[in-house]
Amino acid sequence: MDQPVLRGEGSVGAAGHADPVAAPTPASIAPARRTPWWAWALSPIALLPLIFIVLIALVLLFSGDLKLLFEPGFWSFNFYFNPLAPSQAVWAFPLYLVGTALTAGIALALATALSLALAISTTVYLPAWLGRSLGTLTNLLAGIPSVVYGIWGYVVLAPYFGLTLQPALRSYLGWIPFFGGPLSETASGTGVLLASLILTIMVVPLTTAIIRDSLVSVPHPLLEASFALGATRWETTRRVRLRVARSGVRGAVFLGFGRAIGESVAVAMVIGGQTQIPPSIYSGTSTVSAFLLYQQDSAFIYPALLHALVEFAVVLLLITLVFNYLAQRASGERGAVGPTSAAGI
Amino acid sequence: MATDTMTSRAAPEDLGHRSPRLARRMFMDRLLRWLLPLSFLLVLLPLFDLLYYVGVRALPTFTVATVTTNPVGFGGGLLAPIVGTLVLISVATGFAALVGIAAGMYTAEFAPRPIARTARLAGNLLAGIPAIVVGYFGYFLFVLATGNFSTLAGAITLGIFMVPYVYRVCDLALARVPHEQREAALAMGARRGQYLLRIALPIAFPSILTGIFLAMAIGLGETAPLVLTAGWSNTPVTNLLGPTSYLTGIVYQNYQFPTTLGNLVTLAFQAALLLVVIVLALNIVVQFIAERYRKRLRGLF
Amino acid sequence: MHDREVTAIIGPSGCGKTTFIRTLNRMVEMSSGLRIEGSVRYREQEIYGARIDPVQVRRRIGMVFQRPVVFPQSIYENVAFGLRLDRAPPEEVDAAVVRSLQRAALWEEVRGILKRPAFELSGGQQQRLCIARALAVDPRVLLMDEPTASLDPAGTQRIEDLLFELKREYAVVIVTHNMQQAARVADRTAFFFGGRLVEVDDTKRLFEAPRDPLTEQYITGRFG
Repeated sequence: MDQPVLRGEGSVGAAGHADPVAAPTPASIAPARRTPWWAWALSPIALLPLIFIVLIALVLLFSGDLKLLFEPGFWSFNFYFNPLAPSQAVWAFPLYLVGTALTAGIALALATALSLALAISTTVYLPAWLGRSLGTLTNLLAGIPSVVYGIWGYVVLAPYFGLTLQPALRSYLGWIPFFGGPLSETASGTGVLLASLILTIMVVPLTTAIIRDSLVSVPHPLLEASFALGATRWETTRRVRLRVARSGVRGAVFLGFGRAIGESVAVAMVIGGQTQIPPSIYSGTSTVSAFLLYQQDSAFIYPALLHALVEFAVVLLLITLVFNYLAQRASGERGAVGPTSAAGI
Repeated sequence: MATDTMTSRAAPEDLGHRSPRLARRMFMDRLLRWLLPLSFLLVLLPLFDLLYYVGVRALPTFTVATVTTNPVGFGGGLLAPIVGTLVLISVATGFAALVGIAAGMYTAEFAPRPIARTARLAGNLLAGIPAIVVGYFGYFLFVLATGNFSTLAGAITLGIFMVPYVYRVCDLALARVPHEQREAALAMGARRGQYLLRIALPIAFPSILTGIFLAMAIGLGETAPLVLTAGWSNTPVTNLLGPTSYLTGIVYQNYQFPTTLGNLVTLAFQAALLLVVIVLALNIVVQFIAERYRKRLRGLF
Repeated sequence: MHDREVTAIIGPSGCGKTTFIRTLNRMVEMSSGLRIEGSVRYREQEIYGARIDPVQVRRRIGMVFQRPVVFPQSIYENVAFGLRLDRAPPEEVDAAVVRSLQRAALWEEVRGILKRPAFELSGGQQQRLCIARALAVDPRVLLMDEPTASLDPAGTQRIEDLLFELKREYAVVIVTHNMQQAARVADRTAFFFGGRLVEVDDTKRLFEAPRDPLTEQYITGRFG
């Protein structure tokens, strides 16, 4: 038993070995101080963003006809509009809600998976310089105007989807519900699938940036403890990193969902615009935001339509505020979740 | 080791020994090491495809006339939309910068804690409001009130949409000015306003600039708030109270026409190209300044 | 370093104690800016060998850190962490958790609250939980990097008592800046200075009759 178990020789040169326990310096928070009266009195300056939100809400509430929200027709699934008798129109709001939930839901499911893969790659597996360059390229996606995604989707992707991709998907995956349906549905190329995919690409930079931030901010000692127990990088990621960063991921999903729900231009250009519950993922439908956009010129002609659209906008505002609030709740006051996250700021 | 109760699980003394389970765990790790980075292809492929096709559709017929003539009928150029976009974005940026910086400075330096918390939350919520909703708001507040669509209505509506970007970056930049700077200044008897203007603002300035550029990039690419407020005019805008055209509008109005009809679709792609180039340039400048600024801040500690 | 012994590593701060101990289970590879050369052998096998994965090394050579690092999970799941990686069957996990907690002298204190979050424990208890967690994967060697640095005297006492128990079954390497601690718990002591091993000997001999003048200066308190 005098045989040494562990024996060694050699040297380890430490060049700038960082203290593993040292936490990254947090964004400095102003130290506690006495608050003079004028700081309270002038606080509306700081609250300008809140004032805008309230203003937007009030203007929309008083511009439309709130009673509409409580009429059964507003919540019916049977759209009816006759230009000759606009007052008898039935707006079938739930139809648009279904389209919204469907496209945003698919987009977020895909975007979350993709963002997790991207964020884990850059923080765990790739060397720092490569991760940073690829991250910058991803951020560029966030800068491309939605209208450009729209025209690219409509002119470049839709013909390919209609002639090649969707018929192929239909014949191979047709046995899965919503992947089959009549062949005619696949022909135009525009529809739920294209809209969801474009939304995915549009949302990914934002969700990736937030997830990456929350993965990076997991305290180092926790990771070391996991490695010291013989966990691999993937096991440490799955069991420690993701577990600790869970709320950040949740914040990213909520924020991305809010963004996807609110996107009007790109979606309106590629979703087809039919007022229907889509029978398959290739079918055209519409979303609340898209409907608000492409009906606006008719709305200037038909006051009844304008009134209905305002109520659409009110509900949309409410839903997006809720999701954005949930995102903020999940990530703390000065959390990574913000409008500029996708630009890495 | 004879008395070891764990002999059943005790690992063999060979360090290199791999149980099947260990081999699987290590294989999984290595597999993901190669698999996960492939996800970048899923992101970069669409990016390059988009840039490629926008270039292919826009460039062959892109001439000087494209930017020196106005849109007419089924064709024409982009002069009026370019001028319109420049005017809109200038006024909107001015508005957003004024509001965003004032609110950001106040939030970071003067606002009592609960107010600052509320303000930051509100800033992030404002950014989450869909552009189209802001558009309807602008329509009711500005267009219906003044009786006509106007450049100013479009610019202010767009500006409100851009405020949270400037606001957040300004607030963050000022809050990130190192403590020591603030303490040193206040210890020398500077008032808070003096500290803010003489010390904090110069340090935070490059960062605030990135916020403004970022807001410009966002504003340049927006369509929805303008559709409902700015109206349309095929001649360059001369009066802020008159209507105007804008680049995103060209894309949105023309994209659906048959490609054989005049050069409507080509014009849309040319407008898209201009937008992409300007917006990407702004974004690259933003990334560049942000990186430089990070280094500079690090030097301050 | 020998089986069933406690080896202490002492030396002034910044002398490379922590870095050294982290080379022993290849944890150094976690930090950047390091150049690694030389060799470390475990039962005559090179742990930096080309065929050897750090994961294999760390299974055999466990580690406890300066500050207790508990995962944001229950007490039970903390100890079970390493076993879960192996997909060990539930009854085996149960048995190993109990056994490890007993060896870490924590079982009596936590037996009724295994499902409670681990961070509710006191600092000393958390540190013993970390020891239990390291023991659960059945290592042969236990590396401890100043395990009592963040504990109060009572917690320190319990950990030191524990060391006497642990060395019956494991080779223990402990880094400490506290010479009294080394003298109390270690069978052998190594003195590091300026990134080099100056002297290693039986603890008694090192403290009573150091061969190197540097060691003598340090242990008589002339610097450090």
